[in-house]
Amino acid sequence: MRILVVEDERKIAEVLVSALTTEHYDVVVAPTGEDGFFRANAEAFDLVVLDLMLPGRSGLEILQTLRRRHVETPVLILTARDAIDDRVLGLDLGADDYLVKPFAVPEVLARVRALLRRGRPSEVFRLKVADLELDLVARRANRGDRLLDLTVREFELLEYLLRHQGHLVSREMLARDVWREPRRATPLDNVIDVQMTRLRKKVDAQGSVRLIHTVRGVGFVLREGQP
Amino acid sequence: MRWVAPSIRVRLTGWYSLVLFLMLAVYASATYLAVRHEFFEQLEDQLHDDFESAEGFLVPTADGHIAWATERHHDPDEDEDRGIDVWAADGQPIYRSGASAALPPVALPAATAAPRYESLTAHARQWRTLTGTTLVGGRSVVMRVSRSEDRLRAQVGEILVVLALGLPLVVALAAVGGYLLARRALTPIDHLAKEARRITADRLHERLSILNPNDEIGRLTAVINDTYARLEASFEQLRRFTADASHELRTPLTVIRGIGEVSLKDTRTAAEYQDGIGSMLEEVDRLTNLVDTLLRLSYGDAGTVRLTPEPIDLAALAREVTASLAILAEEQDQRLEVDASEPVEATVDRLVLREALTNVVDNAIKYSPKGSAIHIRVSADGDRAVLAVIDEGPGIAVEHRGRIFDRFFRIDEGRSRDRGGTGLGLAIARWAVEVNGGRISVESAASGGSTFRITLPRSPRKGENV
Repeated sequence: MRILVVEDERKIAEVLVSALTTEHYDVVVAPTGEDGFFRANAEAFDLVVLDLMLPGRSGLEILQTLRRRHVETPVLILTARDAIDDRVLGLDLGADDYLVKPFAVPEVLARVRALLRRGRPSEVFRLKVADLELDLVARRANRGDRLLDLTVREFELLEYLLRHQGHLVSREMLARDVWREPRRATPLDNVIDVQMTRLRKKVDAQGSVRLIHTVRGVGFVLREGQP
Repeated sequence: MRWVAPSIRVRLTGWYSLVLFLMLAVYASATYLAVRHEFFEQLEDQLHDDFESAEGFLVPTADGHIAWATERHHDPDEDEDRGIDVWAADGQPIYRSGASAALPPVALPAATAAPRYESLTAHARQWRTLTGTTLVGGRSVVMRVSRSEDRLRAQVGEILVVLALGLPLVVALAAVGGYLLARRALTPIDHLAKEARRITADRLHERLSILNPNDEIGRLTAVINDTYARLEASFEQLRRFTADASHELRTPLTVIRGIGEVSLKDTRTAAEYQDGIGSMLEEVDRLTNLVDTLLRLSYGDAGTVRLTPEPIDLAALAREVTASLAILAEEQDQRLEVDASEPVEATVDRLVLREALTNVVDNAIKYSPKGSAIHIRVSADGDRAVLAVIDEGPGIAVEHRGRIFDRFFRIDEGRSRDRGGTGLGLAIARWAVEVNGGRISVESAASGGSTFRITLPRSPRKGENV
């Protein structure tokens, strides 16, 4: 999987490269808008991560020109938090998703996974990790032969963790995707933490292997063994 | 070069003088014309008298002619300015006085007409004449009496000079008076400006002195002083906010730096490094949250937030907020209840208002003891909709009530930070309520328990008059 990162700020580009490389993607960095446009136009990529605030050629221009030339590579745009108009414009011009700076790495990876997965059948009725099993049709969760008594919210949370199994899930992602709140706020963070504690008590009951792990300062991850 | 308007007092004087000048000019012109007219009428009356008295001097002679009885009238003083000419019907001159000799003779056919006045010029002198026919002893003669206009014109001229010289003088005097008056009236304003210039950003506590609180200047000064008071308050607020904000931003930065420095000091185990980095990330998260919230508040201050108001049921909103925060109350064995007997509608931006209510309820959960109850009462009060969040917490001391909605205000510094608070929750709540046209206030009894009251304009429900 080849990913083109068009980003002029060196440190941000480095963070993106190391995060994506860890996930075994093949990453190419274009430090200027011209370079980015040239590469995106000439080479084959599975995904373009495009910063909208570039010196010289703006990200929006590049996006527009690429789409006009029928380069349909999925594009994930990066914008500043206060540039709401850019974000809307970017999506209108054919971007597939956006991320606001400063972004969290787990979030970037999740978006990248989602965009690369797009277009492929993803219908699953069962999710499984170790001896934890979720039946999405019957809305039932089992740990080994123990049936877990979960509330609706807890089930959704567990499903989300399972869908991202092995990957970090940030509080922002949970707030948006599970709680469907447009904005992360302190009360919601507390709600997420309490909910997670309760879920963990039910899933990782005494005697079973720990599956839900808290990664301090980042979020949560569901996996077998240590993160 | 651009024309710069002169000072108010100069402009006032200018306008005042111009208007006065125009009024006086009209008045003087009218006077002059009336006097002039009157003088000429008098002259004509005199000519008429002259004509009648001159008739008496004409006598028929024995030879059938008409003669001028000179001996019966002689007034040498008037010779220069008066003249009498008499002609027989056939054009023969009967009498011509000395002064009028220079005047041209009367064209006889015209003499048959009715008596007429006319003006004549001879040797640079202007004359007014009356010409007419009269019968002497049954014979017709033509007689013309004339008077010089010189004296009259001199008099009229004098009047004109008096008027023409007097008018600018009067206007000039009035202008000087007006200018002094305007200066006197405007001096307090200059004084005010001088005093106001003295009050700079560093001396905002000073106020302008009010000489007479009842006059216009006094009222203006009071308004300016009021503005200074508000300016001082907002400067103070800004100063406090800047200090608080930099403190809040510096705290996580200090923690991050400290952890980083300590971690690098000795070689540590991977688990220790992970713990350190995680701890740093937590602080970064806190910083990000803080900056985001500040950014939102500054958007709010700048008024650039776009709202999408829609009529919503506040009772439903209260239940929604309760449902999302219930888990936090449960953790503390608190009861979180919505008291709403009927739907109460208000037209607001749902998400923004929900954030306000969420923050207020979260605040109540945070500061209420275990096992207590928190009520959200939704009610209609006339044209107002009221959301009251009532807790059984320790209450808020009177001295804190005024500042509880201020940014970064915390009653208990440490406790709030432990819960991940930014100190901006209630500030956001106040902004969110006010931007929706409502008000938020807090009441607290001495015995404890606080009530946060959100009052919003109520939208009328169908078929109901509010």
